[in-house]
Amino acid sequence: MSRFLFVVPPLVGHVNPAVGVAAELALRGHRVAWAGEPELIGRLAGAGARVFPCAGRRAEAAPVVRPAHIRGPEALRFLWERFLVPLAEAMAPGVTAAVERFRPDVVVCDQQALAGGLVAERLGAVWATSATTSAEFTGALSGMPKVQAWLTALLDGLRHRVGDPASTADPRFSPHLVIAFTTRELCGPVSGSHGRFLGVGPSISARPDGPDFPWEWLDPARATVLVTLGTANTDTGTRFLAECREAARKRSDRLQAVIVDPEGSAAHHNGNGNGKESENENAASVEPTPDKDILIRPAVPQLALLQRAAAVVCHAGHNTVCEALWHGVPLVVAPIRDDQPVIAGQVVDAGAGIRVRFGRVTADRLGAALDSVLDDPGPRAAAGRIGGSFRAAGGSPAAAAHLEELALEAHR
Amino acid sequence: MSTSEQTGTIHADDGAVLADVAGMLRVILDEYGPDDTEIGMDTTFTGDLELESIDLVTLAGELQARYGDRVNFAEFVADMDLEEIIALTVGRLVTHVVMCLNSPENSPEAG
Repeated sequence: MSRFLFVVPPLVGHVNPAVGVAAELALRGHRVAWAGEPELIGRLAGAGARVFPCAGRRAEAAPVVRPAHIRGPEALRFLWERFLVPLAEAMAPGVTAAVERFRPDVVVCDQQALAGGLVAERLGAVWATSATTSAEFTGALSGMPKVQAWLTALLDGLRHRVGDPASTADPRFSPHLVIAFTTRELCGPVSGSHGRFLGVGPSISARPDGPDFPWEWLDPARATVLVTLGTANTDTGTRFLAECREAARKRSDRLQAVIVDPEGSAAHHNGNGNGKESENENAASVEPTPDKDILIRPAVPQLALLQRAAAVVCHAGHNTVCEALWHGVPLVVAPIRDDQPVIAGQVVDAGAGIRVRFGRVTADRLGAALDSVLDDPGPRAAAGRIGGSFRAAGGSPAAAAHLEELALEAHR
Repeated sequence: MSTSEQTGTIHADDGAVLADVAGMLRVILDEYGPDDTEIGMDTTFTGDLELESIDLVTLAGELQARYGDRVNFAEFVADMDLEEIIALTVGRLVTHVVMCLNSPENSPEAG
């Protein structure tokens, strides 16, 4: 039996994949504990999870208040200076206490919980990286030495405050093992200095049942198109969703669109809402009903819906992209910021979808892209091929097996 | 298009280079319509055009095809810090291209 400590940021999309791996390790008889935000981890990993609390609530609000218009390199600066580095400093004392008290054989560190690798290294513990997206492995900053130097300086300062000042290791990349929830069929060649890179495919299973859905609404004679901007981008999506609606409306003879709209912004944009209604969860119900062609829902059971979908229009968030590809569904990707442009590029390079410009695309261009992924067999075949690579990659059991091995090596 | 030949004797000016660069950007953006954003010297790459790093790679290739080795976009970007990249305008690139094209050391014979 070995002991594994999972260090995670207060972000659902980063905790969920770790939950699958942690459950697999527990099944194999190992001891598992967590360092992070107790309420979130308890909700996602189960009430029985042992959690060493880390401050992080203050930092948790940061990505939410990041102004919607901040994108591109400005978003990069904001992410590192205002979120990742402060989060690491807030989490470091809790991670230290967790390592000292739980005495893990391996610390499994989410790539955005920088405190994990820094503290583990300072305390001489073996650590692995858990990467929920693959954008850090594509050398995106390699042509920009001054930007690279800015990031290196940020990490050096952070290491000096919470890690081993004598080290130079990058807390994003474990020298022992990197587990990434993708495959090379999607992410392409991997660059950078790190330990063994293990692509295990996305973590798809073991999620509680999603919200209700009116399955009888779906018309079997028409293609189902799912439009979603994930959970974090709705404030910026009003214009884009309106273009999606128009493109779908013009194609109602052949397709139905399910639009995920948590904030009710699509209905709002239609002139049916006002400031008060936009705060109302049921704002989407303002939409004229019944509508046989377009269904707007605040949330959908995404995995179940993907089994019926012919195409997905999304922001190229890694989780949504991987879930679509897992089901062999081709994509129209409209990346907004952060890792999304890189992931969108991976989708395009793999032939599994078409990229459009989130802030500029019109209904006509969006519709043309939709027609292509629906009519051309190429994107569907490529999506199916990547989905196959995901299924073959081993998922949580493969990740658990390699972590077991690393724990044994740590004892030698 | 006064800068089409790599002869070393040409004299590039802002207007011609701006027209060249704006044309390249329109191809990259896939936008030709009358309603599309005007591209001028003050247009910013990331704020106004929402270009991503992948687009800059494409632009580097277009500049290379157009001007040859006299203009090295990769070096131009490599010299910038994050603030400068955030603030990068079409005008700054145009000025850089004009300077490269008019530099005597940068003629094909010297290169």
